[in-house]
Amino acid sequence: MSFPLLLLAAFAGLLVLLLIWVLRDPRQFSEPGGDLNPWEDMDRRHVTYFPQVRQAMAAQDFTFLASRGSRALTRRVHKERRKIALVYLASLRSDFLKLWRLARVIASMSPRVGASQELERLRLGLAFSWRYEVLRIKILFGFAPIPELGSLSDVVSRLSIRLETGMKDLGERAALAAKLASSLDGRGLRTP
Amino acid sequence: MSSFPLNVLVLWACSALAQLIVLVLLFSKDSFRKLPFFTVYVALNLSQVAFLVIVYSIRGISTDAIQNLAWYSECVTLFAQAWATTEILKATLRPYQGIWGLVWRSLTGTSIFVVFLVALTTRGDWATHTWFELNRGYHLTFAATVIACLVVVRYYSIQVPVAYKMILGGFCFYSCTEILINTVLQTLLKREFDAYQPIWQTWTMLSFIMVLFIWVAALWKPLPVDARQAPPPPSDSIYRRLSPEVNERLRELNEKLLRLWKMEARPQ
Repeated sequence: MSFPLLLLAAFAGLLVLLLIWVLRDPRQFSEPGGDLNPWEDMDRRHVTYFPQVRQAMAAQDFTFLASRGSRALTRRVHKERRKIALVYLASLRSDFLKLWRLARVIASMSPRVGASQELERLRLGLAFSWRYEVLRIKILFGFAPIPELGSLSDVVSRLSIRLETGMKDLGERAALAAKLASSLDGRGLRTP
Repeated sequence: MSSFPLNVLVLWACSALAQLIVLVLLFSKDSFRKLPFFTVYVALNLSQVAFLVIVYSIRGISTDAIQNLAWYSECVTLFAQAWATTEILKATLRPYQGIWGLVWRSLTGTSIFVVFLVALTTRGDWATHTWFELNRGYHLTFAATVIACLVVVRYYSIQVPVAYKMILGGFCFYSCTEILINTVLQTLLKREFDAYQPIWQTWTMLSFIMVLFIWVAALWKPLPVDARQAPPPPSDSIYRRLSPEVNERLRELNEKLLRLWKMEARPQ
């Protein structure tokens, strides 16, 4: 089989797999409004615990414990704090995924969607996933990459700022639509 | 007609019967009003069967002329297929104006990319297998474009009615099998054209009959009423109720983050 034909066959195979994945019934599909239930615990965002986690992973504590001579205790503390960092990282991811989902819901409701903005969000999502995996592996192997953890928190915060701008824009549109509808009704016209 | 093996003729008859059932279902369940282009597509396919029976029955026409006529009729149905698919995608995304705009752009982009890919991979065989290359190129572009649209639809968690999903899935499945059949047979039976034709017909017809069965299942019940034809999105009641709430929470989050940044900026 020549290379172009092999490429075509592989592409067709890939399309079949994609088709199966796309047509599979996702469990969490719901109407746009129903998507927002997980936002009930929005005020308990994990990103705010970053200073505490940074403190927990600070090298000074371990240096202090090591200088006191208890190696077993240092190891135990190190292990426990690593666990904390992993839990924090997973929570940060959960925060991000919630924000990401909300952003998609907002986009699906918007009468105009900017391709550049959507691509930017997709890029943010991919960047976050990549950093998350790298950090998880690093923490699992005993490093304490605090600056990188900070940059990951940055991604979450940037996305939330962009979401707020989007929500503001949509809010203005809603107000304009309502105003227009009421002015039409005032002239005796029926709007759908 | 007598030049075809019996199994091809049987499959042809089965395909015609299944198409007739699909058409009857479209009219009896009143679905043709919701999917007029799809109805036209099925009707055209059925007409193509009749046309081919007549063409193959006429004596004195050269094989090349018959094949060209068959391929011309195929062009018409493929054009109708593209329209029918666009109709279903448009019906699915009607309440999501923004996403529909995005899908249109991704549809155009993907089509151009795949056409370029097809042209690049088939340039050597162009002169000898023109129709097969065109057919495969079309199906490749079609499947890639529709699947790209479905990926976008899934990404935005937009619900597609099951019947529409089955029809679109059927179209894509048929296109994918056409690509695979064309590619594999072209590789295995490149020099044995006599063997190529009946095998190609058997497999393409089998896959099409499978798709027709999927469509019969999809159209067995009347198509769902689109309950999403509410007011335009910005004035939607759910959205109006939720948007200030989400906005407020995002603001709170931002304030918290701002405090965190300020804390971060402080010298250690």
